[in-house]
Amino acid sequence: MSDTKNEWELLVPIIPFLLVAPSLKFLAGWESVEAAFLIVVVPLLTFPVILVLGQLYNGNETWKHRYKEGGIFGLGALALSLSIAIWILYDYIVGSAHFEAHSVVDPLSWLTFDVIEQTGTQWEVSTGFYDIGVGVWIDSVTLMLLFVATFLCFLICWFSLGYMNTDKINEDSNHRFYGEFVLFAIGMFGMVLADNFLWLFIFWEIMGLCSYLLIGFYYWKESAAYAAKKAFLTTRVGDVFLMVGLLILYDIYGSLDFEVIFDDPSTGIGGVMVESGELFWALLMLFIGAVGKSAQFPLHVWLPDAMEGPTPVSALIHAATMVNAGLYLVVRMVPFVDIHVNGVAGLEDFALIVAWVGGITAFMAAAIAFVQNDIKKVLAYSTMSQLAYIFTGLGAGLLFLNIGEHHAGYFVIGASMFHLFNHAMAKGMLFMASGSVIHEVHHAHNHVRELSEKYSTNEGDDHGDFDPQDMRIMGGLAARMPVTATAMMFGSMSIIGIPLIGGFWSKEGIIAETWKVCLEEEPLMFVPALLVLATAGMTGFYMTRMWLMTFAGPPKSEIVGHVHEATPWIKEPLIVLSIITAIGGFALALFGATEYLGDPEYDHLSFHGIFYTLEHAFLPEDINLRLVGWITILIAMVIGPVMASRIHGGRLIDGVEANPLVSWLVDLSSRFGSQDVSELADSQLAEALQRRLYFDDLYEMTLAKTAIPLAELSAWFDKNVIDGIIKQIVSNSSSGSVKVRGITTGNARDYILMAAVGMLSIFALLWGVSA
Amino acid sequence: MIEASWIAGLGVILFSIGLLGAFTRKNTIVVLMCIEVMLNAANLNFVAGASHYSDVDGWVFTAIAIAIAAAEVAIGLAILLSLYSTQETISLDEANILRN
Repeated sequence: MSDTKNEWELLVPIIPFLLVAPSLKFLAGWESVEAAFLIVVVPLLTFPVILVLGQLYNGNETWKHRYKEGGIFGLGALALSLSIAIWILYDYIVGSAHFEAHSVVDPLSWLTFDVIEQTGTQWEVSTGFYDIGVGVWIDSVTLMLLFVATFLCFLICWFSLGYMNTDKINEDSNHRFYGEFVLFAIGMFGMVLADNFLWLFIFWEIMGLCSYLLIGFYYWKESAAYAAKKAFLTTRVGDVFLMVGLLILYDIYGSLDFEVIFDDPSTGIGGVMVESGELFWALLMLFIGAVGKSAQFPLHVWLPDAMEGPTPVSALIHAATMVNAGLYLVVRMVPFVDIHVNGVAGLEDFALIVAWVGGITAFMAAAIAFVQNDIKKVLAYSTMSQLAYIFTGLGAGLLFLNIGEHHAGYFVIGASMFHLFNHAMAKGMLFMASGSVIHEVHHAHNHVRELSEKYSTNEGDDHGDFDPQDMRIMGGLAARMPVTATAMMFGSMSIIGIPLIGGFWSKEGIIAETWKVCLEEEPLMFVPALLVLATAGMTGFYMTRMWLMTFAGPPKSEIVGHVHEATPWIKEPLIVLSIITAIGGFALALFGATEYLGDPEYDHLSFHGIFYTLEHAFLPEDINLRLVGWITILIAMVIGPVMASRIHGGRLIDGVEANPLVSWLVDLSSRFGSQDVSELADSQLAEALQRRLYFDDLYEMTLAKTAIPLAELSAWFDKNVIDGIIKQIVSNSSSGSVKVRGITTGNARDYILMAAVGMLSIFALLWGVSA
Repeated sequence: MIEASWIAGLGVILFSIGLLGAFTRKNTIVVLMCIEVMLNAANLNFVAGASHYSDVDGWVFTAIAIAIAAAEVAIGLAILLSLYSTQETISLDEANILRN
């Protein structure tokens, strides 16, 4: 790597974008929420600009180096979105604006339906009865997700300037990456801000499209094209159910607006009481949509394959933002079940389904992560597992709310949302750190290959199938990549839930409250509760294993010695996010983020929550819960990591030093002795985990038995029946026209004469008739 | 002021000339010109009617018809060019491949 200088001067074009929010506030005197639409509109205008300019100036030197093939424009638009999001956040948290008017911008009328209604015996058409507006809906969950989405989009776009633009394989196609990246941002921001379910669904689909496009970014690779198709089709299954759910909701409430529905979810259209049976199906359908998007069992198969996309895409879409859309949708269901306000009683079954799906996915994904050797696949399964935690927490919360325990319910829902925040920050960073590792290992590999080609005549050696994501060639990178190693350490700690670091506060809340449901209310909750408890320890194992395999121990290949952490633009996001995961989660927990996110009546952050949070985490009154809490800490912090250390731990080679922030961990990992697990690695269980518990095989077999024969049948029908009819018509008319041609002269003047004679006879006829 | 019926009569005469020419001539360009003559005879009738009834509609129709006639001539000449380039003749008697 020769290009080690900073390129700060390239950031000059984004300054005007940054000035928009302050000038709107101080010069035009706007309220922050009035500017909220710009969060979506500016990226919407930017993405076609990037694509068109990218086509026009493809290969141009200025475009490539000065504007980073559109990356600078994307960064500018995202910076604007971020600045407005922070402005809104400031108004709501620091300036303590209240959430009284949820739909804060008057909806612009957009779509107007005529509705046909049956009144008694006859049908009536009412015109302009229902219109769908474009508005903005802001509450604490929106604020949190909006901040997560804008902040991570910005940082990951920044990271991409280093990651994408220094890779030869992406050259001249990066405008496609940035264009789709910004389009994705539109989808995410729009979904978070939408004030009705229809817009939510539209933006949801935009995200699905971008996910497909970006997974298939390297579309010439067969595996990437396959993965993109798989992701699109799998999430599509969920989306169809989601659409059905929306239709049922519309049938119940006569509207899809949050304002109308959440005003009183127990009263349907025309003042009818809503039956829990009908609502159950609506919510279940929506939940299946969420399961597809958030890659939960049984629609989880697409997420690991989605790692075929470029690493920034994995970081943004498949870890930090898009997969949270499903969770967001489930959180939006809170008013339906909250009988403390206006919810509908009798939906405990639905809450149980949510919790069970979460528990099963959490355990299964963590188990599969044990045997993955691809650094991104470990993170992918970890993402699934952590999202499943949040689903379990939401399930427990919905159950609490539905039986009237609203304090506990709000707490666990808040904890789940807080876990979403912590997980998004940590996992976004972990993926970027893994991207940094992959990038530098790849460069080192290329460097080594150049050297070996220079000094040997032996060409065409075994480097063709080199995989820079394989952790078995790494090891000892802590000394070569200090920033990345530190970032990854903090990220892993947050995910594991080491006490006092980000993820601990939220994860503890989820596990404790799930057990509380199990012990006090609903014995059927035992399975999810047990699974998430076990998963806490498994998380400790697989995250530590990943870190140690990558960064500790002696180097496992010659490439490691050539790795340098030198690419510009990559370190800054890692440093920022390290600080947030290390300290931010702690600070937010102390300020009562859990209550703020869960309880609708708790409208400002304050120190009020600190004692409750601390007591809840370490010394709950119930002795059983205290036991659960301490077991969680024990297995997550001690047993899991120690087992991983025994297998993969070890000192660096002599003569190299890691930085002090991580060297203690490397030393610690070498003190637990070592254990040989090759016997275990050959076992049938390991084989089953390698094959992802055969779910992919099962789905593929089912498809091969059902969908593919059906597709072949319809292809045959199209070719022979539909096309056959048309071809018959064509051949009949052409043979018919040959016969007709036989009676003509082919002389143009004869035709004119016939036309004139015909016209004259028509005139004569008309004359005769009228006379 | 000339009577409208006189102008209409002129239109009839022009139309007949055009029609006769279109029947009898074998040079395609002349046929095309004859068609234009017929078209303008019809236009003349419009104009006559318009001035007789003091109604502007006839003028407008005529203006539109002339504009369309220009387009039609362009297409007609283009057909002639392609006819010549494929058949090497523009004689109507020889361009009769539509016959079986």
